[in-house]
Amino acid sequence: MKNVTAQSERGKNPRLRAIFKHSTPYLYLAPTLILMIVLLAVPIFMVIKYSFYDNVIINKNPVLVGLENYKTILSDVRFHKAVKNTLYFVGVSVVGHLIIGMSFSLLLNNRVFGPKTKGIFRVIYALPWMFTGAVIAILWQMMLNPNGVINYLLSVTGISSTKIAWLSDRSYALGAVTFMNIWAGYPFFMVSILAGLQGISEDLYEAASIDGANVFQQFFHVTIPQLKPILISLLTLDFVWTIFQFDLIWITTGGGPVYATETLSTYIYKQGFSRFQYSLASATAGLVLLACTIIAIFYARQQKEGV
Amino acid sequence: MNRRVKWYTKPLLFIALVLGALFSGFPILWMFLNSFKPNSEIFAWPPTWISANASWAPYQSVFQDPEKVRFFLNSYLVSTIVVVVTLVISILAAYAFSRFNFRGKTFINTLIIAIQAVPPITLLIPYMALVVAMKMYNTYAALVLTYLLFTLPYAILMMTGYMNTLPRDLDEAVMIDGGSRFRALWGVLVPTAIPGIVAVGMFTFMRAWNEYLFALTLTRTNDMRTVPVGISLLMGQHAYQWNQMLAMSVIGSLPVLLLFLFFQKYFIAGMTAGSVKA
Amino acid sequence: MKKYLTVALVGLMLLAMSSVGMAVTLEFQQWWEVELPAGVLRGIADEFTAQTGIEIQLLSNPYADTNTQIAAGAATGTMADVVGLDGAWVYDYAKQEAISNLSALMEKRGYNDAQLSDQIKVDGATYMIPVVNFAYPMLVNVDLLKEAGVTEMPKTWSEFKAAAQAVVNNTNAYGWVIPLSTSSPSGIQNQFMSWLWASGGFMLRDGRPDLVDNEKLTKTVEFVKSLFDENLIAPGAYSMTEATMVEEFVNGRVAFMTTSLAHINLIRQGAPNLNFQAIPLPVMDGYEGQSGVVVANWGIGIAANSKYQDEAMQFIEYMMSPEVNARLAEAANAFPGNIYAEPDYSAADPVFVDSYEIFKDSYAINEFTGLPTSEHLMRIFNDHLQLYIEGDIKSVDSMLDMIQEEWVRAF
Repeated sequence: MKNVTAQSERGKNPRLRAIFKHSTPYLYLAPTLILMIVLLAVPIFMVIKYSFYDNVIINKNPVLVGLENYKTILSDVRFHKAVKNTLYFVGVSVVGHLIIGMSFSLLLNNRVFGPKTKGIFRVIYALPWMFTGAVIAILWQMMLNPNGVINYLLSVTGISSTKIAWLSDRSYALGAVTFMNIWAGYPFFMVSILAGLQGISEDLYEAASIDGANVFQQFFHVTIPQLKPILISLLTLDFVWTIFQFDLIWITTGGGPVYATETLSTYIYKQGFSRFQYSLASATAGLVLLACTIIAIFYARQQKEGV
Repeated sequence: MNRRVKWYTKPLLFIALVLGALFSGFPILWMFLNSFKPNSEIFAWPPTWISANASWAPYQSVFQDPEKVRFFLNSYLVSTIVVVVTLVISILAAYAFSRFNFRGKTFINTLIIAIQAVPPITLLIPYMALVVAMKMYNTYAALVLTYLLFTLPYAILMMTGYMNTLPRDLDEAVMIDGGSRFRALWGVLVPTAIPGIVAVGMFTFMRAWNEYLFALTLTRTNDMRTVPVGISLLMGQHAYQWNQMLAMSVIGSLPVLLLFLFFQKYFIAGMTAGSVKA
Repeated sequence: MKKYLTVALVGLMLLAMSSVGMAVTLEFQQWWEVELPAGVLRGIADEFTAQTGIEIQLLSNPYADTNTQIAAGAATGTMADVVGLDGAWVYDYAKQEAISNLSALMEKRGYNDAQLSDQIKVDGATYMIPVVNFAYPMLVNVDLLKEAGVTEMPKTWSEFKAAAQAVVNNTNAYGWVIPLSTSSPSGIQNQFMSWLWASGGFMLRDGRPDLVDNEKLTKTVEFVKSLFDENLIAPGAYSMTEATMVEEFVNGRVAFMTTSLAHINLIRQGAPNLNFQAIPLPVMDGYEGQSGVVVANWGIGIAANSKYQDEAMQFIEYMMSPEVNARLAEAANAFPGNIYAEPDYSAADPVFVDSYEIFKDSYAINEFTGLPTSEHLMRIFNDHLQLYIEGDIKSVDSMLDMIQEEWVRAF
């Protein structure tokens, strides 16, 4: 940093120069911050405010009720069930995304096949990326139908001859929905990691192999540490996004059968638009916001250390 | 490269690649095949692979409907603008996060993630009220600005990640040589980070392309609406136009596919390795 | 003071007059345009414009999200002037003061509401007028029944069960199908409660939940559970929607299906050779009275935030006028909402004509229409019904107790 005292930065007045220097990062951040503050400050404030009132929006004169909505939510067994399902859904999805995304990007980064072959596979692997959530939901709804192609393939290959109702059976539904989400989301990891792999210097691998490291050791001692900043960003983002995966669950199961696939997003939707209890929906959102803020702080600490 | 390749590596690797391709590609193949079938056949048992009644009718009904064509044009327009703006803004922000230590850094970083943690569905009503108050209801501008809110946090985080993988010597060298920060960023860092930028850009495009909830509620007339809304219009009260929905999404994915093919070259291993060695 | 008032009044009048001179454009938000044959709704709107000079802008929305759209529109004052409504939402929007009191508007305009077949009221005032009604009779795959050796159409529950059993034993198909997906719980209304209503039962008394110690309802639950227990129902019910249900029938995988007449065209298109007919819903053994037939409707209302209340009402009157209403009903495969409308069903499908006869012998019923948070009530019922069928809840009585308790809270 010290070398950088910019000859380029204008201004002969040392005080002005100091101010300019200090404000530089803020200038780079300005467009982002302005946009976020203008467009999000008010709505987010409103949501938090709603959560302390009774029955907002419906009621023209809502009354301040303090933490009452939070108490209602926290004591609702369906909320507990939704949290449990969400943790499963998010946990398995994120790990699945990471494992598949990483494996596919390493497969594609091989040096054995030519660029043409790899190019074809790269496109195929990225395919799930190119479709909107509603369509992915419809597609899997067709395939997982008791008379759908998945059951057909299972019966033709002799794996299972019963027509399993994947989305209607409480013991399969959550797993099926999570699987769909993994399928739909891994390309994000794959492409991002693939891009990250390009930035790793070849020297590091060569140095490692001279030291006698095998492929796995190289992976854990070179690839993973080099990708760490990207991986942390990916995991944090995926975690936050997966919590609110809505289309996929709503269209395929609606949170059912019974509450088998009820997650926070379907729970909030039902509170808000089926029961018209925006206050309760907002309070639920408030709780999620709180939880995610803690994760965000953890992320920010990590990033700080990274510099 | 001087690393030796064992005889079994190639076939094993190929089998792995094919298995992976089945996992990702089969559902898409199924979508493609079904998009040509008559609706009643989509749920037939045993399933038909290539329908005897296959026809282009679902595709024709999409192309012949000017309203549906408009959905595509709207989607391209909005998504493209969002990508360009997102990339510029996020590169600037990522540069700040990656190359500076400043007061409030942790706080701003936390904020950028935390705001994503507000469920969009709860934001819907207050956010819409704001858009109406700003007189942007039913405009492209509303969609573009809204999508920036979705894409920027992600783009900044990922760009920061990519920039952090690039050695600091790279841009510092420019400034030691008397170059400006501007040149260090746009002349050296950005070209080196192209794979990352392409990845972020593509993902930004997909996010904007696929967004549904706000595309629906922030617009009121069909001439302002995007493909996901158009697809949902085919989900009727009593019946769905399954084949048309699938045809529409196949058509929608083609240009994205071309884009991806075009940007392929930025994913070729080692392309940037030379410049990163420094 | 008086002077100012006069000035203000004159000003207002001038304003009113000037607005008469200007072309008014009404926005009409609905999901019907995509359901109807192309151009029908546009044609009706254009005729209205030709007569009155009031322009109509049609705003089409996906059916599944109409509710979200209206809720957001109501909260932000961007609702279209005239809105298509489902009876399930009326109560909530009326309470939110998002939609206008139509009784007042009709009175003001001197509209004779005796010609309307039905009006959906909240606290005594009309908020929604059903434009056309969709009846839910039972459709039968005749060939499947033949294959199963069933010669007579079932009239009672026990005959129905025997027929369904025969179908399961002798063919590859199932007896009946019910869509119980949580995302659209209307299966409770259209396919479950229809059994109760056809046998003269009710789920409400004096407009309040009456589920406990309701003998007919108890029997209905037991009947449907027995259909599940004996595997007479097509698999996948718990995540099935009406749109996937109809595909089961089209593909010849179920013999009986309680469904909207709106599906007839779709079935004809999908399976031109399918031999099917409509029958009245079988009733509880021993029931001799008249049957209630479920109707779902396309309702219409006016946004409270509309500046053109009067013009909007004028448009509704036009849609409800006998001739226009009849045409709309024909196009939608539905029954008219105006009692004087005489739709010409001569070109209609024979199954539809039969259903019309069935409908005329019964009375229209839908107890969920106009209830508070209707959809939520159906969802609660749906969840508990599934728990009972699956054996998590041990008895009908405790199931109905639990639902009653939750329902009462919503009222």
